[in-house]
Amino acid sequence: MTVYESDLPGVGKKHEIELGGEERLVVVTHNTGKREVYRRADADADAEKLFELSDGLARTVGTVLEGAYFQPVATENIDTVLGGDALIEWYEVPEGSELAGETIAAADVRQRTGASIIAVEHDDEVTPNPDPGAGVRAGDTVVVIGSRAEVDAFNDAFIDPDAVGRSTDLGDAGGGPGAGDGDDADGGR
Amino acid sequence: MAAGPAVAGDLNGLLALGAVVAVAAAVAAAGRRVGIPSVPLYVLGGVLAGPSVAGAVGLPAIEPGELTTLAEVGVVLLLFFLGLEFSIDRLIAARRRLSGAAAVDLLVNFPVGVALGFLFGLGPLGAFLVGGIVYISSSAVITKSLVDLGWIADPEAEPVLGILVAEDLVVAVYLALAGALVVGGSPVDALPRIAVALGFLGAVALAAQLLAPRLAPLLGTSDEDVVVRTVAVALVVSGLALSVGASEAVAGFFVGVGVGATPLHDRVADRIAPLRDVFAVVFFAWVGLNTDVVAVAAVAVPVLVAAAVSGPAKVVSGTVGGRLYDLSPRRSLRTGLALVPRGEFSLIIAALATASPDPLISSVVPAFAVGYVLVMSFAGTVAMSEARRIERLVGLTPE
Repeated sequence: MTVYESDLPGVGKKHEIELGGEERLVVVTHNTGKREVYRRADADADAEKLFELSDGLARTVGTVLEGAYFQPVATENIDTVLGGDALIEWYEVPEGSELAGETIAAADVRQRTGASIIAVEHDDEVTPNPDPGAGVRAGDTVVVIGSRAEVDAFNDAFIDPDAVGRSTDLGDAGGGPGAGDGDDADGGR
Repeated sequence: MAAGPAVAGDLNGLLALGAVVAVAAAVAAAGRRVGIPSVPLYVLGGVLAGPSVAGAVGLPAIEPGELTTLAEVGVVLLLFFLGLEFSIDRLIAARRRLSGAAAVDLLVNFPVGVALGFLFGLGPLGAFLVGGIVYISSSAVITKSLVDLGWIADPEAEPVLGILVAEDLVVAVYLALAGALVVGGSPVDALPRIAVALGFLGAVALAAQLLAPRLAPLLGTSDEDVVVRTVAVALVVSGLALSVGASEAVAGFFVGVGVGATPLHDRVADRIAPLRDVFAVVFFAWVGLNTDVVAVAAVAVPVLVAAAVSGPAKVVSGTVGGRLYDLSPRRSLRTGLALVPRGEFSLIIAALATASPDPLISSVVPAFAVGYVLVMSFAGTVAMSEARRIERLVGLTPE
């Protein structure tokens, strides 16, 4: 596997990662910290944008992709604080949720809440990094990543609109690693 | 500084500034919906708020004189950022392919502009200025379009951005020369001015190179210190440049190069970008305030002729540049299409031309530049978004 790095004057840096065959993953890191991720099917194809992430979110997702181990903590809602303001949270999608029976893209999850769904669990089958076109059904468990405000917004929009001042055992807003019952939630680093 | 209590129908300086920026922002917001880049729309906002439109219909018009210094700050910051991103190492690393592509870009488009200038009867100096206006692509418009359309992840991003970097260096030298020539007199009279201007800029460039390592500690550690001191250095140096007859813009460029070579590069870019955005809008709107719609209408034919000739010329030179980067014909064509938009630098040259004692140059060249930038930034953006259709038209399709 080869990674090509090049400068984009005035914009940032570009990394191209060979995916096998002629296909490449292209990551554009803007000077502002924003990351855009593209896929290019072959040398002459136009790059197709997959998603973009803020600097902080990109680092967090990067950590997840790296295989760092996050210890889920059993609470009413399972959430994992990653340090900074970022956290990962597990939710079961209730009947009647706007997300139930919709695709992630159609429910406009990122635009509406700022949070991203990084995995969907249906029965025993887990889809990591689901396609925005992937459907979510009632009863599925979704794994959501974002800042606390974004994850709360996700909860309000799709899970439990009546939640007021939702409290979990884990950390007040900004609670650091190891908050709550002492489990090292910032695991693996 | 304050102009005293506002008389009815007369705007105080603060209100004038606010009104211009607000109109420019509103026009840009409206235009963005139909996909027109912001830079020319800020100019259009200025035109609407200025004496030639608002003044003509009896609304309180804003006199450009009120905003001249703020507009100059905008120019200095625009060029400061170019300098900040400019890297000699990068230029050297890319020199083999880049020098070819950049040379083709310069040798095709500058002469085309000069020829157009002569054709329009603007004389040697006018032709030199039109040459610059036609030659220089818009980094702001092009970079934004590359990101918006996702071309930034495609191979043509490298030659496009590389050619823009090379143009930045050419524009630094060009502005130094143009600034000295515009003041008037024969080229022989201008020689001492050129010498002083180039000497001063050489000194700034040398200082940027040598003092950069010592610059960082002087700029402080807190964000506040870094921003305030960097702006102070940029304004003092560019102000000194103006007072010896050199281009304030070019001085700003070299201060940017100096600061860019320090480890503070990212922080400065981050913190000062919002300042640049605001003052750049003031500059673009100020160009609009200075523009007479009647004068622009009078040069409509030259503008369209120039667009019809210089647009394809850029596409051709850019396509050749792309080929020199070993891109496929289709990718090379895109390189050419991407380089079509003209913008901020053409307007900086226009602003320079207003200082000329020759009325032909001080009125016709800026009006031409404003019309030309409006047409080319729009046409270039359309060319990019319609690239697929254009490729099919010339028989190039993706495999």
